[in-house]
Amino acid sequence: MGFTGLALGAMLQRDGKASELTWALPDGRPHFSPQARSVIWLFMNGGVSQMESFDPKPMLTKYAGKKISETPFAGVQDAGKLAIERSFAMNAEQRSVLYPLQVGFRPHGQSGIEVSDWFPNVARRVDKLAVIRSLWTTDSNHGAQTQFHTGRNSLDGEFPTLGAWVHYGLGSLNQNLPQFISIGQREYWNKKDGHYLGPAHDAVPLRIDPGNPLDYGRSERPFSRRDRSVGMDLVRELNALSGVEYPQDPGLAARIASYELAYRMQMSVPEILDFSRETAETRSLYGLDHAHCRDFGQQLLAARRFVESGVRFIQIQHGGGGAGAWDAHSGLRANHAGNALAVDQPIAGLLIDLERRGLLDETIVLFASEFGRTPGSQSSDGRDHHIFGFSVWMAGGGLKGGVVHGATDELGFHAVENRHYVTDIHATILGQLGLDSRKLEVPGRKRLAIDHGTPIHEIIA
Amino acid sequence: MIQECGGTNGLFESFRDLTGRWLGEVAALIIASFIGVQAVGANEVDYNQQIKPLLQSRCYGCHGALKQKAQLRLDTVESMLQGGKSGPAVRRGDAVKSLLIQRVIETQLDERMPPEHEGEALSEGQVALMRQWITDGARAPADETPETDPKEHWAFRPIKPPKVPRVGNTDWGRNPIDAFLGQKHEALGIHPQPEASGSVQLRRVYLDLIGLPPEPEEVVRVAPIDTSVWYERTVQRLLQDPRHGERWARHWMDIWRYSDWWGLGQELRNSQKHLWHWRDWMVESFNADMPYDEMIRLMLAADELHPGDTDKLRATGFLARNYFLFNRDRWLEETVEHVGKGFLGLTLNCAKCHDHKYDPIAQKDFYRMRAFFEPYQVRLDMLPGETDLARNGLPRAFDAKLETPTYVFVRGQEMQPDKSERIQAGVPELLAFKPLSIRPVTLPALAWQPERQSWVLLDHCESARRMVQQAEVALEQGRQKLEEARRSLAPSSEVALRDSGGGQAVLSPAQLAEGEFKLAGLSLDSARAEQKAVERRAEAMRATWATENSAGHTLEQAPKIEEQEAVTAAIRAEREMALAKSRQVLASNEWRLRLAKADQKAGIEKEMTAARDSFEKAAKAVESPVTPGDKFTRLTGSKWTTTRFIHPDRDDPSFEFPRESSGRRSALADWITDPRNPLTARVAVNHVWARHMGAPLVSPVFEFGRKGKPPDHSELLDWLASELIESGWSLKHLHELIVTSAAYRMSSSVTGAGDSATRDPDNRYWWRRTPIRLEAEVVRDSILSMAGVLDTTRGGPSVAPGDQASSRRRSLYFFHSNNDRNLFLTTFDEAAVIECYQREQSIVPQQALALSNSAFVHDAAGWIAARISRPAASMATESISDSEFVRGAFERILGQSPTEAQTAASLKALLAWREENSAETTQSDLDGISDAERRHRDSRRHLMWALLNHNDFVTLR
Repeated sequence: MGFTGLALGAMLQRDGKASELTWALPDGRPHFSPQARSVIWLFMNGGVSQMESFDPKPMLTKYAGKKISETPFAGVQDAGKLAIERSFAMNAEQRSVLYPLQVGFRPHGQSGIEVSDWFPNVARRVDKLAVIRSLWTTDSNHGAQTQFHTGRNSLDGEFPTLGAWVHYGLGSLNQNLPQFISIGQREYWNKKDGHYLGPAHDAVPLRIDPGNPLDYGRSERPFSRRDRSVGMDLVRELNALSGVEYPQDPGLAARIASYELAYRMQMSVPEILDFSRETAETRSLYGLDHAHCRDFGQQLLAARRFVESGVRFIQIQHGGGGAGAWDAHSGLRANHAGNALAVDQPIAGLLIDLERRGLLDETIVLFASEFGRTPGSQSSDGRDHHIFGFSVWMAGGGLKGGVVHGATDELGFHAVENRHYVTDIHATILGQLGLDSRKLEVPGRKRLAIDHGTPIHEIIA
Repeated sequence: MIQECGGTNGLFESFRDLTGRWLGEVAALIIASFIGVQAVGANEVDYNQQIKPLLQSRCYGCHGALKQKAQLRLDTVESMLQGGKSGPAVRRGDAVKSLLIQRVIETQLDERMPPEHEGEALSEGQVALMRQWITDGARAPADETPETDPKEHWAFRPIKPPKVPRVGNTDWGRNPIDAFLGQKHEALGIHPQPEASGSVQLRRVYLDLIGLPPEPEEVVRVAPIDTSVWYERTVQRLLQDPRHGERWARHWMDIWRYSDWWGLGQELRNSQKHLWHWRDWMVESFNADMPYDEMIRLMLAADELHPGDTDKLRATGFLARNYFLFNRDRWLEETVEHVGKGFLGLTLNCAKCHDHKYDPIAQKDFYRMRAFFEPYQVRLDMLPGETDLARNGLPRAFDAKLETPTYVFVRGQEMQPDKSERIQAGVPELLAFKPLSIRPVTLPALAWQPERQSWVLLDHCESARRMVQQAEVALEQGRQKLEEARRSLAPSSEVALRDSGGGQAVLSPAQLAEGEFKLAGLSLDSARAEQKAVERRAEAMRATWATENSAGHTLEQAPKIEEQEAVTAAIRAEREMALAKSRQVLASNEWRLRLAKADQKAGIEKEMTAARDSFEKAAKAVESPVTPGDKFTRLTGSKWTTTRFIHPDRDDPSFEFPRESSGRRSALADWITDPRNPLTARVAVNHVWARHMGAPLVSPVFEFGRKGKPPDHSELLDWLASELIESGWSLKHLHELIVTSAAYRMSSSVTGAGDSATRDPDNRYWWRRTPIRLEAEVVRDSILSMAGVLDTTRGGPSVAPGDQASSRRRSLYFFHSNNDRNLFLTTFDEAAVIECYQREQSIVPQQALALSNSAFVHDAAGWIAARISRPAASMATESISDSEFVRGAFERILGQSPTEAQTAASLKALLAWREENSAETTQSDLDGISDAERRHRDSRRHLMWALLNHNDFVTLR
């Protein structure tokens, strides 16, 4: 549940399960010198249109209304190229009539990378971003949310998410706080993180509410500080007396430590979520004074404060629940314009704020969604799910800024240059954190090359 | 397309190829970036530690005891030197010329070892180690032996009851379990710890066998601890206690993957509604000590073995649970995986994409196992007293599509079935100790026409009768309202007014009531017509059955005329019902039109047109004669749970329930439960042992294959397995054996252990008891029980998530699925429904937060305190002294009398809590008690809070 080093019972348990001579539980130290220490994972649920965000495709406008088969790019619908699809619930419908771009694009920054006009604030920070335009995945339904987090198609079963691996592999930076935090709603297929690593590696769900941020985070019945303190003194004394009768009991030691950490956490978490000491300038940087982006802005401000206090992995879901807010099967223009408005200023604010505090160098910010959207139209003004080519970007944490890596074809259909399966993102992040995923494998849980992925060296500074 | 284990991904690589990158480069990049080359300089490479495990995990699958591809074995240095078809694999001192090195660094994919799709290339670090070892002379250990023949693997050998050893330490042992352990103790020079105190044992055995702590008076009644037979009598009594079934059903619910249904919102996607019937079957079966083999047979094939027996059919919830709306492959792959892991301790799932790397299980065997399940589907059968399947019904398995072929998927990819061969159901050859006999089962008509169950037609009629009753009540209410409206109003106000704004008719209350009354009359007509139709249809169905034998075949000498008359009556009644209903719809539309606003009228008029059409059609149908081709709608007794394999938004086509079942699953059950099956009993006793003793004999509990560790206590395991089989698969016999052993009754303390603790710090040889962190359910149930508020209601529908906070039922009755998990229980590592063969016993701060902050614990603390303060309801005040209170509190919450030091600490805290300045709020005004009284009461409540947060409460010592 987001706490390294204290899942002691689990640890003892696991010891008994080890079946390979060489296997040992991670010691919490990186395997090699890390370039980053924290991750802020921004996940846009539902599927962001690649061509209307970070991968402009003027050909869509040029051939708008035409069938793909009538354009010079008919080859994109080759059955062989489409065969990677493998769905949680089959969803394969080709959207063959091209739908024009719904938003303008212009180049920004020194790099001149083109970004859609729906993201004006992020666009101004584009020289900090490494944009990857050549992702692909296999689940053409929203199970792909799980797939992006775990690297596995959900038809294969349940697997740990990237955050859980990081939590499993790395020790704590701050003993007062959970190390793996989840903010925002998650649909049932993507609810948990630890899976076979155990519930101790699930993210701790937090609410942006200093009054009640954490499950059981404060006494649910009146209980004065003094009464509690007398009680805790007694518990400590009784535990110590038991320690005489049952010496060398690691369970007892872990239990005592867990109470101390729980208490510190109960105190620290509300402090982090109390924004009263942030300046008005910072608050407006995150868009807290605008209703349309206040919620997300608060989440990102909290994320910065957590990173500042040494939290390892903050996983934020935008528009979670059901299929996801970005799932624009119809009315794409209104949908994406509105969603972008909600996230654009907060994200830009986060990048600025991290940078000026010197945190961006050691923090990776990821912007992603489970897949892209079809070049063809659905229900006249929408786009369907699209797994064959889509975009994400990363910033900070020892990655290059102002670069574009990979490309889709002229329609934004297939990733054609430097193709990357979603676990290449995992590998890149783990590598920057100094972890070798192969050294984290658990006996009895064989992982494949595709599960480990390959770091994207071209974007590493 | 992604394979389950081993190998790399074909399509993935072909996409790499598309990018113009050659895979070798990718591999080189991985190596360059990821592998910290291990230092192999001055230190010599250790073959046993560094080379052999590597070869074992990467090469033995094809070049060891399992297979000898190219006649090469790599399981001893000698065999490497000797080599295979291509010559020696290793040349001492010459890594460059050693084929082993050449083949693992080969960049040509079709030459490389391990081959493409069988495993990744070795890392540079691994190759470096091998080179170094060869360069250093490929030194071998003196006594190296080749891998044993898979047939000789301990878990695949028949179970033979081993002789119970004689041991010197006769004082210690209580039964043969102790003799097996004692023999090891003597050999290792370690000594078992003394027996735990009576009170510790009592708490242990209560929480273990019934999942609840002992009530003090219960203990006195059963057998006071000072009598010589108290322990055995307590055990026997607890094993007969119906709460035992609740406790142990929860353990097996973990193993058998119990889950209530889940999906997106209200859409059922996984498992089944009303799956609790299966849970209740488990509780009842464990209480009745149903033989374990029989339980397996019923779970896998009750529909073939006892086709009409709804009680037994509940067991097939085991199969119904695997239902998955969207994808048959995932559904069946999970079924095979967990039948393998749960009953057999075999990782069959590792053979989905390729032959198993450790066990003699071919890829084809995975699909042969799948073929047992290929025809099965899930449906809800009607249960007595409820015709609405949304409210209740029996989720059960049945064979639906007998002709569906099973194919091997090339490299496990469902898009690539190998249609050249239809796979027949079968078991891995090594474990085929007898020929499998699969005989199709002819089902009684009751099974494929579940409407023949005695209650179905009666319940349909009863439900129609109740509808009539309700309509009569509604009509009577309408009549009263009308009379009231007429009475209370002056004649002048009865004039209808026109609303100028919306163009809506404004009716007087009496007019309104009159309209409603008329509609209620039509509703009653319709309900009566429906009742008549249901009754006629039921009669017609009975008449048809009278002309058939029990298998559903028409008899030659059948009384045809009665049947025809009944059918005609049913058809007519149904037509009349249609007429009454359409009349009702038409009238209610007319009424709505009258009340509607101007802008709503067009829509309603459209509906009116449709309603008028169907009314006219219905009227015509009633007039027309019944012709031989006409049919009536049969009343049903079951509903197939539809699947959406073809399209996510449309149900797959429905079908008739077949008259035959394939017999495959009963054949499989017969093979699994055959006493000659070497795995079934061993796996079961290991599960039971692990839960009693805190750790399993074989770990992981789902891996009895060659990849797992050989057990330290294989003779004990085999003896227990034989005992299980010979006792007629009695789990209660097994429980009794284990909990009455001296090993179970030992202290968990290491105090005075001397050498034992240093010789065997991990307690692999069971010289002391292993402490157990209480399972989630036991934590919650114990607290409720100690507070005296546990709701002991047994069975029935799962407690919905929204009702759980206020529910005091035992935790196993809580709705529990992948989506909905109780927060308090999850905090204590409650079972994940996807897979939970052994619970985690984590110790994390969330548990501290839950126990110290939850309303649940705070409230319970108050109730427990009140109960101890006033042991008898007759006592008017909390009259017992503080020290009596402290004693009572320790005994109830920790099952222990307090020591002097514990008492002193507790008394000190009680006083501290009572100090004046500790007052927080003034609740006393509300309670009408004095401040001092309130502080007194609160202090005792706080002491309960402290004891619930004591490590000894959540620990089974």
